[in-house]
Amino acid sequence: MDYKYIEQLLERYWACETSLQEEQILRTFFQQQEVPEHLMAYKAIFDVQQEQAEATLGEEFDERILEMIEGDPVKAIPLRGGLRRRSFLRPLYQAAGLVALILTIGIAAQHSFDEEGQSQHTQFAQTDSLERPADEFVTVPETQEAAVTVEQDSINLTR
Amino acid sequence: MKKISFRDDVLPLKNRLYRLALRITLNPAEAEDAVQDTLIKVWEHREEWEQIDSIEAYAHTICRNIALDMAGKAGRGNVQLSEEIRVKSEEFSILNSQFSIEEKFDQKERLSLVRKIMDTLPEVQRSVMELRDIEGKTYQEIGNILKLTESQVKVYLHRARTSIRQQAEEIEKYGL
Repeated sequence: MDYKYIEQLLERYWACETSLQEEQILRTFFQQQEVPEHLMAYKAIFDVQQEQAEATLGEEFDERILEMIEGDPVKAIPLRGGLRRRSFLRPLYQAAGLVALILTIGIAAQHSFDEEGQSQHTQFAQTDSLERPADEFVTVPETQEAAVTVEQDSINLTR
Repeated sequence: MKKISFRDDVLPLKNRLYRLALRITLNPAEAEDAVQDTLIKVWEHREEWEQIDSIEAYAHTICRNIALDMAGKAGRGNVQLSEEIRVKSEEFSILNSQFSIEEKFDQKERLSLVRKIMDTLPEVQRSVMELRDIEGKTYQEIGNILKLTESQVKVYLHRARTSIRQQAEEIEKYGL
């Protein structure tokens, strides 16, 4: 058998002039068991490449990764600062909102006993604070404002 | 552009990433960790996927950097390996001088020597060779991953192939 073609391809392979297809031809050639003696040293090179191509990761690797990314997203991936801070402070906002709400309702109720006209102001403040607590970022300032309005109203009342 | 799915487009890259990481760290456990870290990192950046030209090249670049970090921390691994191979080829010349010319190299021994020769190449050459000879990538794709020009890729590949060829031929000469 004439190995001129393979030898020629090999020369071009060392010179990095072979195409991907030609390199595949070389690989296929060297995969056969019987290779002429003078090419055995090169067969080892292609054999090692073949061996390296077989290194893979098992299925349990997939499962582990998918579990890490699809499991509890909060546990699996470190959340960006903003998101984490928001959920972390949520109870505080809720507590603040609740206190403000109770105060508002309390004062509003008191007002409605005293004078009907004036209490309409506080009614607005009350509904305002009722809607807001879900919106974490604005809860505190808004309810404070509501509370301030209520306080002003009660000051007005006492005058 | 097609919507990228982690399960269908990113996770299937694991074996290619693993082989690249393995060529860099030369340590299967570290390589596996590198791939895991890579995939998690790619996942964390999922909002940017749409702006990335090639998710594959992107993942490879991340993987290489993580693997390089690990290999850097591992320290002198390569030096020890090259020392080992020097000793090994000396052993061989002694061994072979004791046998008749008819004594042939065991192909297994050849393989283990070639493996060591490949492992002692500089990292860039190992990575270029892995991406070309194992993964069958074009020079352009390799350049994208390694942040090199196509001609640089060719230069590194040429060095790698030449040096393996020379060493393989030398070993063969000692043996015959």
